Amino acid sequence: MSTLLQVEGLTRVYGGLRAVGDLSFSVGQNEILGLIGPNGAGKTTVVNLVSGVVKPSAGRVAFKNEDVTGMAPHLLARRGLVRTFQATVVYGDRTVRENAMRGAYLTLYPGFVATLFDTPAAKRKREAAEALVSELLDWLELTSVADTIAGSMPYGYQKTLGIVIALAARPSLILLDEPVAGLSAHETDQVRDTIKRVRERGITVVVIDHNMRFISGLCDRVVVIAHGQELAQGAPRDVLRDPKVIEAYLGKSYAAARAE
Amino acid sequence: MLSPIIIGQVIVNGLSLSAIYVLIALGFTLLFGIMRVVNFAHGAFAMLGGYALYYLYGKYALPYPLAVPLAALIVAVLSLVLETLVFRWFYQKMFQSMIGLLGLNMALMFSSVIVWDVYERSIPPAFSGVLRLGGLILAADRLMVIGIAIIALLAFWLFMTKTRYGVAMRATADDVEIAEAQGIDTRTIYRLAFLVAIFMTALAGGLYAQIYALSPFMGERPLIVAFVVVILGGMGSIPGAALGGVILGFTESILSTFYGAAVSSFVSFGVVIALLIFRPWGLLGKPE
Amino acid sequence: MTDTTSETVRVGELGPTGAFERKAQDAGNHRVRNLLILAFVAFAALWPLVHENTFLLTMGTLVALSVIGATSLHLIIRTGHISFAHAGFMGVGAYVCVLLVMKLQLPFAVSLAGGAAAAAALALLIGPVVLRLTGKYFVLVTFLLGEIIRMVFVEWTSMTGGSNGIFGIPAPYPALAEPHAFYYFALAAALLCVGFCARILTSEVGRAMDSVRESERVAQCSGIPALQLKVTIFVIACALAGVHGALLAHFLHYVDPSSFGMVDSLNLVVMNVIGGMNHLIGPIIGSVFLTILPELLRGYVELQRVIFGIILIVVMAALPGGILELTARVRRLLASRRS
Ligand SMILES: Nc1ncnc2c1ncn2[C@@H]1O[C@H](COP(=O)(O)OP(=O)(O)O)[C@@H](O)[C@H]1O
Ligand SMILES: [Mg+2]
Repeated sequence: MSTLLQVEGLTRVYGGLRAVGDLSFSVGQNEILGLIGPNGAGKTTVVNLVSGVVKPSAGRVAFKNEDVTGMAPHLLARRGLVRTFQATVVYGDRTVRENAMRGAYLTLYPGFVATLFDTPAAKRKREAAEALVSELLDWLELTSVADTIAGSMPYGYQKTLGIVIALAARPSLILLDEPVAGLSAHETDQVRDTIKRVRERGITVVVIDHNMRFISGLCDRVVVIAHGQELAQGAPRDVLRDPKVIEAYLGKSYAAARAE
Repeated sequence: MLSPIIIGQVIVNGLSLSAIYVLIALGFTLLFGIMRVVNFAHGAFAMLGGYALYYLYGKYALPYPLAVPLAALIVAVLSLVLETLVFRWFYQKMFQSMIGLLGLNMALMFSSVIVWDVYERSIPPAFSGVLRLGGLILAADRLMVIGIAIIALLAFWLFMTKTRYGVAMRATADDVEIAEAQGIDTRTIYRLAFLVAIFMTALAGGLYAQIYALSPFMGERPLIVAFVVVILGGMGSIPGAALGGVILGFTESILSTFYGAAVSSFVSFGVVIALLIFRPWGLLGKPE
Repeated sequence: MTDTTSETVRVGELGPTGAFERKAQDAGNHRVRNLLILAFVAFAALWPLVHENTFLLTMGTLVALSVIGATSLHLIIRTGHISFAHAGFMGVGAYVCVLLVMKLQLPFAVSLAGGAAAAAALALLIGPVVLRLTGKYFVLVTFLLGEIIRMVFVEWTSMTGGSNGIFGIPAPYPALAEPHAFYYFALAAALLCVGFCARILTSEVGRAMDSVRESERVAQCSGIPALQLKVTIFVIACALAGVHGALLAHFLHYVDPSSFGMVDSLNLVVMNVIGGMNHLIGPIIGSVFLTILPELLRGYVELQRVIFGIILIVVMAALPGGILELTARVRRLLASRRS
């Protein structure tokens, strides 16, 4: 399995606080990697650093063997690295279809002059984007709500729509920041299935959560962090047995009790 | 070139400008910090303070130490009407407040033109003459301004740190929701903060009008000053307003003495724009 | 940096953005809209023929010119920023064009392009820096920037004539010295400008602008180069503002700094606010309103300003979507009555 994303010594300091410190991990082609850790561990910061939303204080990020450290988000998106946001972020006043169309900017946009004159190239691109969006909405069974205003839909739908917006950019790697936070058990299962199907499209997935159970049922490999530092890395079942991980999650006393 | 006269002038001008600027900016920063309104009508309240002092001191010849605070108090109390009619609608709505209060600024300014006409008036100086201190020669009326401002600032500081209301006000500035959860009546706090803010602005406006000139349009400069100072110090930060006021006061005093008013304006605007771009939260503010 | 969007003021917050556009997409409404546009253009074209009054003609020309300024500012507003320096860019266009005509004796068309290019160049210089700022900081910076530009006009006396300005500016072409001719010239310029802005807003560029305004973070992660887009639009809009300034100077035959200050920038903002900031028609309504209303209150200049002020307060307190929102509300009310 070839490496798609390689993170080395990634560090981000916020006024003295090391939100992420010296973190290294890699993601293989078409893998589902879990990034877990308790609240405030620095997971979102890692996503921000990798997706270019925040510049690292130190360290290196390589994507498809290219050094992309500190590169702006839109350039990363162009290279196939896309992320979603922890708080549901959709265009709340727009329809589901319009949300997806906006996500398809890279397929859609033919250049400034071409779009003003609506050249044949622009028309072709628009048709391609419309086809892509229809296919995505069909695939995730959102066609029936395609003309609903996004902000008026239940939270679970909005979370899924966030993933649709990301997929519309046709990524090769997608980073999902807590895609099931705040969802019911049923909705969580649905999102888990969705993520598995995303992988079947040949897309590599990095999924962030603090929920062990959700992550372990989904991922090939997990990286556990706490206080911005790596605690453990490996297959879910090995990592879950690691005393350091148990301690970080359930407290010292529990870990000690288990060790006895 | 650096004669004692000029040095004295630079220092006293610097201090008196700083005093006025700090007062103006404190009012502005209080309204922003607590109610989240960007008071584009700030200059108009300074202008009203000028007219109040003009009547009380210039026309009715009240004793100066009485006329100055009374003028500011009258403006502040009457402005409570505007708090109810206008400001109230814009609390915690930053964008709407900017445009809406620009409208209020226009309404107040041109109402003043209707009432008082456009020509410039002057408020007679409270003191003439100079004070000699060592080799320095200091203008007495400027010293008076400094004195008044120091008293006002001291009173403000005592109010904010020692009284129940002052503490509640600071709590509200920190976080409205927590303050409300703690049982602070934000409606009262807002009105009180408004009163205090307008009082200081009107006070500064009176002093400003006395030094320069009084006209319905005199508020433009104080408004820009409030912006510059508050951006320098950090929007919503009270110590920031004080620091920013002193920096701007002395910069202007020095630059305008040696290079003229235009250079002084260019430099201070330029510095503020640079600061806004690289450190938008100001010298003492907190990044968002 | 982009993570700070939570507390900033965004134009998108102001009203049910898009509610109006969504309705306009209905086929029936499309026809109505086209008819309205046609009627409006026909009215504007016939305006000089329905009366003999040169004053009303002048008003028409001024409205047409201010439509250019207001709609160009509208472009910037649609990217989520409200510039309070727009009149400053008008001034740059005006002075550069006038100086090229009067000092270098260049043809008007070349000078006009020069004026627009100068305004665009200034915008290109400062845009990449100021457009990183959001909400209130952008407002404050442009506010001060506008003042600086105006101060340059006042202080650079050798070029600009200082506070006195420059007098005796000729008509762009001898044929345009005739008021009717200038009116049609201005109307054509305004229509071109509105058409251009409408094309941008309805194209994929407009869609990207809406995305950036409504959520810059998401937009960027979909590959939209937000800053680059905003700078492009800012430059285009400032060039159009320069055109507005240059045409105004040549229409009034003089130019001085008092036409390009805070109040004038504010006027352009107000045209957008009163008309409605979420649709291109907003600033057009606003331009008509703000140029005509003063004339209804002629002789009461102060009273008129006071009324303006009060209107602004009321609109911002009760109707942040402007006149357009009012019409939308009325329509909704009528619709609910009917059903
Ligand atoms: N913009 C920021 N400024 C200052 N501190 C931050 C910022 N973003 C995150 N942090 C800090 O970094 C730490 C990690 O935060 P985060 O990455 O959001 O954790 P997680 O997503 O794992 O819950 C927290 O202590 C948080 O307070
Ligand atoms: Mg997080």
